[in-house]
Formats: sequence, C-alpha cells, structure tokens
Amino acid sequence: MIDFLIGLFLASLIVALFTTRLYRLLLWYSLNSFTLGLLALGIGRSIDDNAMIITGIITIVIKAIAIPYVLKNLSQKFHFVRQITPEIKVQYAIMLVPAILVFTFYLSEPIVHMIHTNANYVAVSISSLFLSLLLMMEHKNVAPKIIGFLSMENALFLLGITATDGMPMLVELGIFFDLLMAIVVINLLFHKEELRV
Amino acid sequence: MMLTLLLLPAFIMFGVSFIKKQKAKYLLAFTSFVILLPIVKLFLLPKPYNILGSYLVADKLDTYVLLVSSIVGIGVTLALLTLDKHVKISQKAYRKFYRFFAIFWIGLIFSILSNHMGIYWIGLELATLSTVYMIKTNYTPAAHKEAWNYMIVGAIAISLVLFGIILMYASAKPILGEDAMNFDLLLAHAKDIPSPFLFEMGFALTTIGMFVKMGFFPMNLWLANIERASFYPVAALFSGILESAVLVGFFRFSKIAMAVNYDHLFIFVFVYTLLTIFIVSFLIYRAKDFMRLFSLSGVEHMALIVMFWVSGAPFAALLHFGAHAFLKPALFLSTGVLESNGKYKIAGALRGYKGFKGGVFWFLVSLFLLAIISLPPSPMFFSELYGFGAMIATAKESDHMLAMIAAILFLLILLSIIFYRFVAIYQSMKYEGEIKEKTVYGSELFSLVIFAISLISLLLPQTLAYLHAIS
Amino acid sequence: MIYYFGTIFVLVLIAPILLSYIKATKMLLLFKRPISLLQGYRNFSKLLQKETIISEESSAVTRWAPFLVLSPLLVILFFLPPVTQGAYYVSFVDAFTITGLISLSTFFLMLLGLDSASAFGGMGSSRESFIAALVEPAMVLTIFSVSLMAGNLGIGQAGVNLAEHFPKEHMASFLFAGISFFILLIAENGRIPVDNPETHLELTMVHEAMILDLTGVYLAIIESAASIKFVIFASLFASLFIPFGYGLIAPLAIGVFILKLFLIATLVAILEVNTAKLRLFKIPNLLGLSIVFAFLSLITFYVLGA
Repeated sequence: MIDFLIGLFLASLIVALFTTRLYRLLLWYSLNSFTLGLLALGIGRSIDDNAMIITGIITIVIKAIAIPYVLKNLSQKFHFVRQITPEIKVQYAIMLVPAILVFTFYLSEPIVHMIHTNANYVAVSISSLFLSLLLMMEHKNVAPKIIGFLSMENALFLLGITATDGMPMLVELGIFFDLLMAIVVINLLFHKEELRV
Repeated sequence: MMLTLLLLPAFIMFGVSFIKKQKAKYLLAFTSFVILLPIVKLFLLPKPYNILGSYLVADKLDTYVLLVSSIVGIGVTLALLTLDKHVKISQKAYRKFYRFFAIFWIGLIFSILSNHMGIYWIGLELATLSTVYMIKTNYTPAAHKEAWNYMIVGAIAISLVLFGIILMYASAKPILGEDAMNFDLLLAHAKDIPSPFLFEMGFALTTIGMFVKMGFFPMNLWLANIERASFYPVAALFSGILESAVLVGFFRFSKIAMAVNYDHLFIFVFVYTLLTIFIVSFLIYRAKDFMRLFSLSGVEHMALIVMFWVSGAPFAALLHFGAHAFLKPALFLSTGVLESNGKYKIAGALRGYKGFKGGVFWFLVSLFLLAIISLPPSPMFFSELYGFGAMIATAKESDHMLAMIAAILFLLILLSIIFYRFVAIYQSMKYEGEIKEKTVYGSELFSLVIFAISLISLLLPQTLAYLHAIS
Repeated sequence: MIYYFGTIFVLVLIAPILLSYIKATKMLLLFKRPISLLQGYRNFSKLLQKETIISEESSAVTRWAPFLVLSPLLVILFFLPPVTQGAYYVSFVDAFTITGLISLSTFFLMLLGLDSASAFGGMGSSRESFIAALVEPAMVLTIFSVSLMAGNLGIGQAGVNLAEHFPKEHMASFLFAGISFFILLIAENGRIPVDNPETHLELTMVHEAMILDLTGVYLAIIESAASIKFVIFASLFASLFIPFGYGLIAPLAIGVFILKLFLIATLVAILEVNTAKLRLFKIPNLLGLSIVFAFLSLITFYVLGA
C-alpha cells in the first residue's frame, strides 16, 4: 500500500509538471501533500511512532488543505495569471523528465543498497526534488514557482519521514514553522505589489 | 542567561522598531554594544561551553565567528542611523527594516552557535526569509523583483541544504540514533558511519546549497544583483553575518566530510572554487559600480576561504574569513557616501571630502580598498601567503604536486586580474572626475573606525595564537 | 472451452451496450433523460436495413476495408487474458502482436478515410495517424512493463499471473503503467479529451471524419468495430490493472469482470463530462504524459524494483 502511495506522490508531481492551469496545479499539489500525509500516517502506524502520526495529521491539515486554500484566495485577491504555460516545450519535457528520473534513480542506487527499510523512497524523493526544481524552472509566473518551492518542501519531507524513520520532533516543528513564515512572507510580498501598482 | 544576553540587543531592536518616535533608534546604537559582554565572557569560559543543553554549544570556532559577526552587527546598527540621509526611505519601511534585521540577527545567532544540524538550518531559514523583506523595504520595481528572486533562489538553496542534512542524518542514524543531528558526535563517529556514500551525497547537496547561497559558480550574479537593488546595509549584513553563518556551517560539515573521505571532498570543493574564481575575476573586471564590484569580490574571497579550509590551512581560512567579514561590510557601508554622486559613477568618488571627518573617511576607505586586494600590511596578505603555502605542503604529501602548482599559478593570474582592476578603480576614484562635496556623518565614521580597529587587532599575536588553536 | 468462447461471446454482446452506457451516464450527469442501453443494437439494426450507397469517386478499397477494420479486432478478442479459472487462453501472444493488430485495423480505417476522396476523409486520416503514431510507443511500453511485472511476455499468461500473484512490491510501477494505459484507452477510442465522438464539427472530429461517407452495412461494421475496440481496451485494463475476482467460481467471476468493465465505462463518462476537448495540437501533451508514465513505470521497475 505504501508503494502505491509513493507512486501516487510521484505521479501527481509529474502531472503537475505538464499542467497549464493554476487551479489544476493547486489541486495536484494538494493531492501530492495528501499522499504525503497518508504516507506519514501509514509509516508512523507501522513503526508505532506517535510523533510521525502527529506530523502526518499536521501535513494533511496544513499542506493539503490550508496552503492550497490560502493560495487560491491570494490568487483571487491579487489577480494572478491563471493560464500558466510552461516555458519548456512539451516535446522537450517528455525527454527531460524521464532523463531526470533515470539519472536520479541511478544516482541513488548505491543508497538503495545501504538503507534496508524503505530504500526506494530515497530515490523517489531525490527525483521529486529535481522535478520540483524543474517545475520552478519551467514557469515564468510567480505562483507556479511558489508551488514548485512547496513541492520541494514535500520532497524533503518525504525523505525525512522515509529515509530516517522520522526526524527529531524539534526539527520537524521547526520546518513547519519556517513553512508558515514563508507563506507569511509570500503574502507580504504580494501585498506590497498591490500598494505599488 | 548567556543566551538571553546574546539575544538581548536583537530583542530590544525588535521592540524599538514598533515605537513611532524618530529618536528611538539612537537607543539602539548603545544597546547593540551589550552583545559584546556575553561574548567576552564566552572567550574566558572553558570550551566547549554548553549554552543550551547539547543544542547550542560554544567552542572556539563558534566564539570567534560570533565575535566577528557581532562586531559587524554593531557596525551596521551604527551606520543604519543615517540610512535616511543617503537614500529615500519612508519611516514605516525604516521601522520594518529594523524589525526584520532583528529577526535576521536572532536567526543567525542560533545558526552560528548551534551544535545541531536542524537548529542550524532553522536559524538559516529564518534569516533568509527575513532578508526577503529587508530587500523589499526599498520601494522600487527592481527591489521588488529581486526580493522575489531572493525568495526563490534562497528557498532552493536552503532546501538543498536541508535535503543534504536529512541524508547525513540518515547515514549516521543507525549508530547514533536521534543524536545523529549533533555536529560534535558526528565528528567523533565520522569513521564509523555505516554508509559513507549516503553521507557524502548529503554533504555534496548541502555544499551546493551553501555555495548557491554564497554566490559561487554558476550562480555568480544573483547576489550582486540583489545587493545592487536593495539598500546598502543589506549587503553589509549579507557579507558580514549571513555568509559567516553559512561558512560556519560549511566548516562544520566539511570537518566531518574530511574524516569520512578527504580526497572526494578536496577534489569537489577545489574544482568548484577554482571555477568560481575564474568566472568571478572576469566579472570583476567588467563591474561598473561599487555594489557589484564589492559583492563579486566578496564571492572571490569566500571562494578563497573555502579553498584554504579544505586544503588543510584552517588558520589561513579563518584569518581570511575575519578580514573579509570586517572589510566587506565596511566598504558596503561606505558606498552610501561613495555613491552620493550617482550609482554608476566611480570616477571622483574619493574626492571632495572636507574637514576632519572627511579626511578620516577617505583615508579609511582607501585603506580598506587596498586591503581587500591583499597589499602587504593587510591580514589578507598573510592569510593568502599562508594558505598557498599550506596548499603546497598538502600537495607534497600526495603525488599531484604539479597539478597543484599549476592550479596555484592559475589562481595567481586570476587574482592579479582582480588586483589590476581594483588599482585602476582606486586611481579613478582618487584622481579622475569632478570634485563634488560629500558629507560624512559621525555614526558611520564611528562604525568604520570600529571595523578598522578590529581589522588591525586581527594581526595581534594573541589573535593569531587563538586562530592557530582553533585548527 | 465453454468459458473461453463464452467470454468472447459476452464481450461481443456487451460492446454496444458499454458505449450506450457511457452515453447514458453522461446524459444523466448533464441532467438529461438518458438513452436506452440497447441504443447500440437499435442503431445496428437500423443501419442494416438501410440501403448501402458508395461514392462514385471511391475505389474497391471502400468495399473491402470495413471488413479489414473489424477482423483484426475480432482476432484480438481471442487473445485476451482469461476472465475466470479454467478458461482457455492463448499464452504466446505478446504486446507487440496486440499493438500490431490494433494498428492494422487503424491502418485500414485510415485507408478507408482516404479512399472516400472527400476533404474530410483525408483530414480525419491524417489526424488519426498523428494520434496513432503517438499512442503506439506508449502502448508497447506500458503492456511491456506490465508483462515484466507479471513475469511473462504473453498477455494471457500475464493476466493469469497478475491475478494469482498480485505484485504488491511493484505497486508504484504498476500504478504508473495503469495511469499510462488509461490515457491510451481514452486516446485510442476517441473519447473526449482527444476526440469527441458525438459531433460532426469540422474542427474537432477525427474518427467521424473518416467514416463520413459510409452508409448502411459498412457503417454498421465500422461502428461495431469501434465498440469492440473499446471493449478490448476496457477488458485489457480490467484484467491487467484490476486483476481481482479471477479466483471466484466461473459465473461469478464473469459477473465481476463485467462489473469492472462498467466501472471503467463510468470512469470514462465522468472524465468526459468534466473535461473539455483538447485542441488537436495539445494532444501530444496528453500522450506525452502517457509516454512519460509508461517509461517511468519501466525504469521504476528496473532500477528501483518498486
């Protein structure tokens, strides 16, 4: 079942790469975070780690529901461009995405032999890190770049919960705190834009 | 108690930033000196001294870097008093600048003192996010664009750092458990890490993240553009405090990586820094304004520091680091005066100073300018001499002597390009262009004097002995 | 033996009903009064009674091509994975054969469109070949990777293996292959994001453009070929990607299988209601996604083994 979720995680990210509409992108991001939360819940239950179950719930509440909602509100408030066409043409993206995947899978192959539990997730999270970088690169608008940043956070989180069986609670809370701070700063940045124009 | 004292100036600044009275900011000039008290105490205490359990631990390196960055913080606080005299800034934005400067400072004190990879990262991220807003206080479209730019690139860099940290943590977790986040334990058990590849990969990702943050190859110009678009104290904070924290992190991570596999680390970092200096030297040659010039020169110096550190000359690296951290903020702060004729006018920038203040100002600035290209009495001269010597010494033990000599010759050529450019700029500042009167304010002159004194004190035998003891 | 032929018989019988079912579901979702599920049969009998007229410009191709469109598809029906235990199946037919037979059918369809000598026919054929060229690599990759997961290149054997030992450890690559195949199912059958089977609008039609000139028996043959193609894809999807219910007793297993077919049809209908048709030149984006997923499924299986 966890393999299924991890596949869904990667799949939603890849679909997000090919999306040309902002709200669809938010939907895919939300799905991405939701699978992440479910993964955290599943792994937390299997290794009996209460901290991870809590982080899983926080992830679902904040990343899958709150952040997409806030971003949608922001986009309506500040009139974002909702048609977001990737700068990289689809025919190149079709070649680029598998190339990145192959590269990262082989990059992490030695790791797979080292970590015995959940070895594949390291590979998937590294490749989703690269894919979110691609997501940031292929768009000129700010909004998809923010989504790219957030999905990068998701990739990190996936690595955190799978490769290490959960990081210290302090660090995870710190990461959440910083994420919220990032959202506040993004909000402030947009506000200023409105004052100027 | 110690921690409270360390954070006190920043908290006072945060509080004062809500007071609407104009005079309130003068209070900060005095309170910022308070930070020196706990640092002096830290120097006297036996090390490593646990400030907050095993999370915040002050050892010799920490204390040194904390001192350097605090002096920069004091200097910037002083120079901030006259920011509104040099640039146009609304009162609200001014207060916001102070507020986010305080958050920035708090984050970086945590980062510098942390003995815990997670706390290190959280502090760094806090500082990064608050910088975004400091850039935004300049109400221009360029600054707005660069604030977004910083948000995105900074976020990528910081995420890479976290990614690497997680990998490193995962590599050491089997033997250390949750304590695998502690730098000292990791260093002590570096040889026993069960999966060195995982660690090295984490280290590589972290390093790339840090290098992006410092403006290394291939991200050479983003820092310069941001510093150009924002107010000049931001640039001073970047080079003095933020880069100090990043470098401390690099020092710590690379120490562990050295114990894991020295050769991999050396080749990776050496080639990276060599490429950086190669690109940057030509970018400096083409620089048309003070901000970009100093910023790119800062990148060059950081590359040198990193290079010295990995090639077995920590003493040279730390000396260079101290000199860089004092010189760059001083120069950035003086650009407020130097650019009073206009942003892109280098010629004549050092002319037209009257009276005692003016005289001291141009004397100090020319001193700093000549010091960053490592003319002999400057600490940079000694550090480079010592650093290159140590590189040769390291190469002697291996069989890559010729390659190392070639690399050093190449480096010297690149450095001479930079040297040539700076001398030309200095001449143009002093002897070309029209004479226009410029005003220098007491507070910024005072901060320059502080920087000059700290710079000279780097060359005291006690300081050198202390730096030797760190390595 | 009885189950083998029985399944094929059921599939052929159910094919028109499935298409009518999709249409009815869509109408229901759009708050219209749904058509009867037997509409497919009614159309068929109506077309059989009609007079067959052939355009003067067309050659002999028009006379024999409709049969050649239908016959490869009928052949594929015999190669499909078994639905229930004890049914016969052909174990040596692999992904390439299936894809080849489908493209053979598509080839004659395109020939038919060209032969009608009308502007629409040529346009439809060119569009169809454009889509078919993009579908094929993804199709081969997808079925190939599923066969690898099942441990057998033969489609029939693969279906059995998947049903008996579901590859839990390969869930991720299985999911990717499933997504890819679902996109192909939509593209090959001319469902909405790719082609709208309900309009005769010049700008959008692909499949309809090719058969615009046909009447009577020939049209009936082509229509039933289209419905059989859908049933082939749906049953491939059902037995390769939803491999449950194989172990039940025979009548129940067939019932579960038919339920799965209707489930897929419902999915397609919901998707059709919720999406707008893509511009022709945006279709490579969708199919590119399917190629990416097919490839991803292969490399995930090979490199990660997940």
